[in-house]
Amino acid sequence: MNGTSDRDTTETYEDEAELDPRQAASLLAQTQRQAQRDFDFRSPWLSLLAAAVVLVAFGVVWLSVRGQHPYKGPTAVALVALYAVVLIRVGTVVYAHRRARAGVSGRSVSQQRAEGMGLAVALVAVYLLMGAMAHDGASDGVVYGVYVVTATLVVLGTFGAARSAAREDWRGLGVSIALVLVAAGSAFAGPRGVWLSDGVGCCVVLLGYGAAQAWQLRASRSDV
Amino acid sequence: MTVDALNPLIHVPTRLQIVAMLAALPDGDVLSFTRLQEMIGLTPGNLITHLRKLEDAGYLTSEKTGNGPASRTSVALTHRGRAALDTYTETLRGLLNGL
Repeated sequence: MNGTSDRDTTETYEDEAELDPRQAASLLAQTQRQAQRDFDFRSPWLSLLAAAVVLVAFGVVWLSVRGQHPYKGPTAVALVALYAVVLIRVGTVVYAHRRARAGVSGRSVSQQRAEGMGLAVALVAVYLLMGAMAHDGASDGVVYGVYVVTATLVVLGTFGAARSAAREDWRGLGVSIALVLVAAGSAFAGPRGVWLSDGVGCCVVLLGYGAAQAWQLRASRSDV
Repeated sequence: MTVDALNPLIHVPTRLQIVAMLAALPDGDVLSFTRLQEMIGLTPGNLITHLRKLEDAGYLTSEKTGNGPASRTSVALTHRGRAALDTYTETLRGLLNGL
């Protein structure tokens, strides 16, 4: 290896300390856990935040539509609150992801960019279709109630499921499938109830996911 | 089976940490020298000594991009390096089961 500016030094020290097999196994397990923790941005706290975000965001919209007869759709104030909490969630995830992946480049980074592009196109398509439905005279209850929230969650859940399956992340796959099922099932609750049903359902799924992550973290620590 | 059966190149605390850290990355990804240094907590000189030994054995590759102060070095585990860690882990498991 040639010396470079980010690793120039005059100090060289060879650490050749003896390791017995138990120490080696312990060090190996500890390093693998640290690497997994450092490179993976997901955490129980982020899942807890996601659960709170989805409950608050959908709850605010439900409060704004529950008394509407006929259904007109979320009020401007409710939509601002919805997008504000969603933006907080997105910002937190982007920060945690950048921190975890600092210094990492290569194939997985390109794959993530391509996946992100695919997801963005799918979400834009959901809103384009919403425009087309409104244009064709579909009722406000279908367009601004059942369709928009169900289609968005189904797209996000399906994306998460495909991504988790490709990475053999079975817990992520389970959570994604659960979100899709919650979204599809909540569609039966009608334009007002869909917001509450999705908010509570997704919150419960994400809390379960966070608890599973916390349990796994604890179990891996006690394995030492 | 004795401790001598363990790959002596990996059976050193710092190199074991380096190899295990790099093995946690997906195949095809590289890690910057500075991030690796930060994660393992070594001085640049110490880290470079260990990286050189691993590179000489064909366990990792390094790539330098840019020139001068903006230059950046990245390292990645090779297939040979991953296989060596797998063999090391298996041998270690065998040793511990025999204890």
